[in-house]
Amino acid sequence: MTRGTGPTPKISLRNVGKEFTVRPSKEQPEGSTLTALEGITLDVAAGEFITLVGPSGSGKTTLLDLLAGLTRPDTGQVLVDGKEITGPGRDRAVVFQQYALFPWRTAAANVAFGLEGPGSDGRRLSRKERAEKAREYLDLVGLSGFEDRYPHELSGGMKQRVAIARSLAYEPDILLMDEPFAALDAQTREQLQEELLRIWRSTGKTIIFITHGIDEAVYLGQRVAVLSSRPGRLKQVVDIDLGDRSGDGDVRSDAVFVQHRHKVWSLLHEEVRKAQKAGHAKIRPDGSAPDEAPQLGKGQLSKGQLSKERAA
Amino acid sequence: MTAPTLTKATGGAPAAPPAAAIPAAGTGQIPPPRATRRLASLIRAGARTAGRGIWASGAILLFLLLWEFGPTYLASASTRVFLPPLHEVLRALGSLIAKGQLQDHLAASLTRSAIGFGIAVVAAVALGLLVAWYRSLDRFLNPLLEVFRNTAALALLPVFTLLLGIGETSKISIVAYAAFFPVLLNTIAGVRTVDPLLIRAARSLGLSNFRLFQKVILPSAVPTIFTGIRMAGTSSILVLIAAEMVGAKAGLGYLIVNAQSSFLIPDMYAGILTVALLGLLVNYLLVAVERHFSRWRTAVGSQSN
Repeated sequence: MTRGTGPTPKISLRNVGKEFTVRPSKEQPEGSTLTALEGITLDVAAGEFITLVGPSGSGKTTLLDLLAGLTRPDTGQVLVDGKEITGPGRDRAVVFQQYALFPWRTAAANVAFGLEGPGSDGRRLSRKERAEKAREYLDLVGLSGFEDRYPHELSGGMKQRVAIARSLAYEPDILLMDEPFAALDAQTREQLQEELLRIWRSTGKTIIFITHGIDEAVYLGQRVAVLSSRPGRLKQVVDIDLGDRSGDGDVRSDAVFVQHRHKVWSLLHEEVRKAQKAGHAKIRPDGSAPDEAPQLGKGQLSKGQLSKERAA
Repeated sequence: MTAPTLTKATGGAPAAPPAAAIPAAGTGQIPPPRATRRLASLIRAGARTAGRGIWASGAILLFLLLWEFGPTYLASASTRVFLPPLHEVLRALGSLIAKGQLQDHLAASLTRSAIGFGIAVVAAVALGLLVAWYRSLDRFLNPLLEVFRNTAALALLPVFTLLLGIGETSKISIVAYAAFFPVLLNTIAGVRTVDPLLIRAARSLGLSNFRLFQKVILPSAVPTIFTGIRMAGTSSILVLIAAEMVGAKAGLGYLIVNAQSSFLIPDMYAGILTVALLGLLVNYLLVAVERHFSRWRTAVGSQSN
């Protein structure tokens, strides 16, 4: 299923499974468990760009949370550089669909956010060094001159560029992206896809990219991992070889591209149908899914929310 | 609303500017045509602003006019004693200032409200952060806080006086009490409504709980907290004046009540006028502070989704 790449893969998922406890409700006073992921095994090589597709509720975001260290798996192991993940770390960065920029900070201050506090070598950067770095990374994402803008003064595409710059600024090895371009219009999306490829080539990051779009998955990924409907299993990993993509040509109408696209589409289509029949919907952050049991309302913020889920 | 004044102003602007709007603009020089045009548009803009200003202060002016002439021409002689015209009140205000009395009373009131308000803000923000962060503390304290919050502060005034005497302590305490709850409730609300996505983003960056609080939760709650502080400012002055009326030897509330019982009616109105101006000023300042801290909030609604 996976290809052996080098001695230690950058990221290694070994038989990873994740369950959520559904809170007891009127209909189900006992509560129940929801298996979001089951038996995921996948190796990702250093510097690889892998995209992840799957029907709604197949646990894509859950998998990303596991990789980010925001939750722990119930079974199996998630390894980075051969070491098990114990929590969030500066070797990994997450880019969210809704940008998650801090609205009270300017673009530059947002990018500098991850640079405050001790770095990986325990050294603190001075204010000047942070500003310098922020400018450098805003420049990398093509936002020079927007340092002092607040998020509400930026367009969606620009906000996502800032978010990407923020993730890159503290120099993680791995970039975890959760449908980062889904909220953007088609033109901006295409533009950002190209830019992401450019950044990936110039920085050599390992990228795991979740998407709903088959085109996007095939266009960006060196491999496309297709997840099954819930419980999410790895259905198949499709190798994508589009040849040299750095040119200006319309890769998407290429025969090879269409072929790959069709392959992923057929794999996914089956699962989407299954998911629809079962009425699966997106798993909520508190670990419940709307289709599994009626819920009490939006989970409110509390200190140990993430760890409580795990303990429950 | 502004339409009538506006047309009037713009229509007559270049040739005969409305008297009140532009005092002697452009007289005594013959400017070249382009400058004339610029001047004209400047005059028009000035007239528009002035017109709007006149309209906005119209109600106040009418009220002051009524105050000045009403008692003399409309009221009976006995009423006039209890409702002196504006100029008498202003004269009384002037002599109070000249004698330094008003300043003393004002200083007494301001000291009390500032101390009480300060204590309330510090205590309420601290407790609010704790309550919002620790759910169990919230469940424990909430019923009691609900009871106290819904008890009018002034209803407790006798209790404060009995326990703490009629000195400064009781007045500062009741101000603190009244200012406490708006700040507390808004602090809790502010922390609760932090966008969970921002928390996730910060957590994914490996922030500790403390840093998360300092860098994400607190800044994001600040505008809501300041709304509470503004509300507290208004209510602290209100309660203080009432407390000073009941038992005090100085302060604006004392000035008002004492003037009334000494039959210095213009002095009493001078005190009331001072309270009104103080209230306006405090509110204006707090709104400015609140706006300063909420600048980034504009269009924050379009930011999510």
